[in-house]
Amino acid sequence: MKWLKKAGYVLCLLVFLLLTLGPFVWAFILSITPEHAMLAKSTALLPEVVTWKNYLELFGGSRKGQLLFAGIANSLKAVGMTLLVGIPICLMSAYTLSRMEFKGRKFIRNLLLITMVIPVMATIIPLFRIFVARQLLDNVFWLSLVYVSSYLPMITWLMSNYFSTIPKELEEAAVIDGCGRLAVFMRIFLPISYPIILSAALIIFLNTWNQFQIPLILASSVGTKPVAIVVSEFMTKDSIQYGLTAAAGIITVIPPAITALIFRKFLISGMMRGSVKG
Amino acid sequence: MRKKLVSLLLVTAMSVTALAGCGSKADGTEGSKKEAQSITFMAPDWAVPTDEQLDEFTKETGIEVVVNEVGWDDIREKMVTAAAGGQAVADVVEVDWSWVGEFYAADWLEPLEVSDEVKADMPTLETFTKDGKVLAIPYANDYRLSYYNTEQFEKAGITEEPQTWEDVLEACRTLKSTGTVEHPFAIALNAEEKTTTCLMWLAYTMNGVVYNEDGTLNEESVTEALKYMETLIQEELVDPADKTSSGMDAYKRLTGGSASFLTGPTSFVSRSTNPEECSVVGQITPILTPGKEGKSEVTMALPEALGVTKFSKNKEAAKKFVEWYTSADMQKKLNETNSAIPTRNSVLEELINDDKIQNAGAMLEEAKLISSPFPDGIPSYYAEMSNAMYNAINKMALGELTAEEAFKEMDTKITELAGQK
Amino acid sequence: MKKKILPYLLLTPMILIMGVLVFYPIAATFSYSLKYWKLTAPNDIHFIGFDNYINILKSESFWYSLQNTVFLLVLILFGTTILGVLLSLFLNIEVKFSGVLLAVAVLPWALPPYVNGILWRFIFYPGYGLMNKLLIGMGMVDQPVEWLNSRWTLLFVVSIVVIWRSIPFMALVCLAGRQSIPHELYEAAKIDGANVPNIFRRITFPLMLPFIGIGVTSTSVTAINVFDEIVALSGYSDLGKNILVESYLTTFSFLDFGKGSAVTYLVMFLAAILGIFYLRSLNKEVEY
Repeated sequence: MKWLKKAGYVLCLLVFLLLTLGPFVWAFILSITPEHAMLAKSTALLPEVVTWKNYLELFGGSRKGQLLFAGIANSLKAVGMTLLVGIPICLMSAYTLSRMEFKGRKFIRNLLLITMVIPVMATIIPLFRIFVARQLLDNVFWLSLVYVSSYLPMITWLMSNYFSTIPKELEEAAVIDGCGRLAVFMRIFLPISYPIILSAALIIFLNTWNQFQIPLILASSVGTKPVAIVVSEFMTKDSIQYGLTAAAGIITVIPPAITALIFRKFLISGMMRGSVKG
Repeated sequence: MRKKLVSLLLVTAMSVTALAGCGSKADGTEGSKKEAQSITFMAPDWAVPTDEQLDEFTKETGIEVVVNEVGWDDIREKMVTAAAGGQAVADVVEVDWSWVGEFYAADWLEPLEVSDEVKADMPTLETFTKDGKVLAIPYANDYRLSYYNTEQFEKAGITEEPQTWEDVLEACRTLKSTGTVEHPFAIALNAEEKTTTCLMWLAYTMNGVVYNEDGTLNEESVTEALKYMETLIQEELVDPADKTSSGMDAYKRLTGGSASFLTGPTSFVSRSTNPEECSVVGQITPILTPGKEGKSEVTMALPEALGVTKFSKNKEAAKKFVEWYTSADMQKKLNETNSAIPTRNSVLEELINDDKIQNAGAMLEEAKLISSPFPDGIPSYYAEMSNAMYNAINKMALGELTAEEAFKEMDTKITELAGQK
Repeated sequence: MKKKILPYLLLTPMILIMGVLVFYPIAATFSYSLKYWKLTAPNDIHFIGFDNYINILKSESFWYSLQNTVFLLVLILFGTTILGVLLSLFLNIEVKFSGVLLAVAVLPWALPPYVNGILWRFIFYPGYGLMNKLLIGMGMVDQPVEWLNSRWTLLFVVSIVVIWRSIPFMALVCLAGRQSIPHELYEAAKIDGANVPNIFRRITFPLMLPFIGIGVTSTSVTAINVFDEIVALSGYSDLGKNILVESYLTTFSFLDFGKGSAVTYLVMFLAAILGIFYLRSLNKEVEY
């Protein structure tokens, strides 16, 4: 029985690894296959000749390589800025919406939640006009603000869920001690909220990493262009370079992968309930 | 441990708000400054000159050029969004031949002055001319040229270069029946722009006409071309995979050795000599595109050009840049650094004679046959028209429509579009 | 007095951001959708009321795209939810390298959608892509399968690709939900002699439900807004286009801003119906 259970687990593990990592492995194989062998009519999975040309080109300081790494740097910058702006605003909104009584609370909360379903396409042209009028194009701060507007509903909702598990008595006790609202927030809520903050930060990181349409319209200069756009540009019109694109795709995943690995503990801890003990 | 972490987070969270405020101020001043003698140039990677070349221009004219490299597909989208906001994305922009009609109708391009001498030397300039106004100057040439794999042809017992489309069809049948090549004809059939142009050049080289004077399709010519494609598909002379793989992949079957005949981009002249891209180096010969009763007397060009935007605040400097960029001297240099194919026939001739372009075959001869299939310039509804055309062709390829039905489907849409104008 | 202002004060940044960057733009887009506004006719922009909407609702192309959107929504929602929940249960099993597995599970999420589309194109490549290599190699077919040449197989492939990218978030949220369930509940159930399926039905599933709700909301939004993957796999072909592709084509390719905005509004309308439905479930509280 125990043996069977173990075998079942290993089987599941293999299926999981195959389905999750398979596409990456295949992309890696393509990235070391010579261009003309890529479309060859053969069922061989591995190329006869291995070429490191694509990686040499990307790491060797070529223009494409420089663009790719500039793109990664730009994406990281946007992630950092979005976190700096987004987390405090989400925290404030979540605290207010989950812990304060005031007129219109429910209305504001629902209005915020419903914006989750708005597609980028519905806002991008007017947004562009605003950005042009105020000369905000190609500016990481304002770009991040747009990102924040799209994450606010989900993150605020997750945070207020977390806050709602914090016992009311804790807060009341503090108020009796003479603490103001701000002090309650700073002394009681923030210290026990680090799991949700980190969870939210990871979600923001990953979603910002994937942005494409918004930066394409609002920030596509070399100084602000995120890596997703850079990689897509390796594949346009007549210059389709599958191998190079595959190699770039793999490099693109590395920063978020490392981050996820380091903060793996916090991937879910913040979203759990009952994790806060009074 | 936990307490430390918490206080650390607290500090960050608090300083964050302050920082964010500062950030906005610092960033706000950037990007709004513009020097008087500086222009922006938005182009895809293959059009970006080297730094030395740009420095030279700056030294010569005192105009600084800020290059904004954008993916080709994205340039149009950016241009559109910007124009909808009444803005210039850049002073000088890439203008693909297929965009000219709409850019002209939308009034985004500044007319340029070109001497008659240049006009005579640059046949593709016609494509960028509307109502007598030159809207952009072509810098990279691309016209339809045919290629065949001489070794494969010989193996199948065909010694002569195909002269007509009928010859090509027969040769492909022989190549297939002798088992030399399974799918000898490479053509784009996927639902994408390249498929539209394939139908255009096929009809154009067959009958010298694609569109009527009023902008509608010429039924006789286009139906004949569609039927020719249908035959290729039904006899599986094209690879079934080409129905859904990208047009470029279909073309690349020539250099991959799995196709023996291609009518396609001029870039395959150099691709076919590059061992990294081509597994059949030395076997491919560029030839004049076939026609109905002999070689075709026309060919279609799909060039890219540079234009100056109407919203630009530095029009004079921008025009100077375009002039410099498309000069004979620069075309030579750009061929060397960016492998751009010159749009000036005189430069092309010089490069071929100097052996700078190898395995040129009929390249120069074909360039002299360039002509536009659009009687009234590129229409403003080109994108919508092309969408209707490639989708109909793709449906025919997938067996959902016959050649006649495919024609009817695109004709209905195009007649409607042409009528709206 | 002060107490009454404070909440609004704290919400000011949020309200400002949402107002300027979300609500104002969607109002503006609505006003565009009531205009005849073609970029190729810059001197002929005028108000036409709901004509754009009427024209769209009359066109066959819209209903075709709508079908595709709905088909994708259903397939992606089911696929992601079922596989996501299964994955969360698998990840819940404690082993030494649980954390690493979790990080691995997140990888597909870290891939920008467009890159994701390209990656899968290599796999479902019509000639000798990975899938065909495998199938031919194992002798299951002798000719390469053309994956992308019929409407339903194409949409099916698109769904697989989107599901693959959406599973991580779903699994993460569900795992959080699973781990929030107090151990005591399971112990009590065991003492009562409940069997595994029963425990799942009575405890695990109902208590995970609100978390699945978040995942379902987020997945639906993703599914309605699938764009990059379709374009990467089949370009702008009629075959696989959904309403979002239709909206993009109308706006950016055919340069009809009025009609394009109207199509976008119809997408939003569809999403909003779902949104209201989800709001009710999101607002529910859980009791353990």
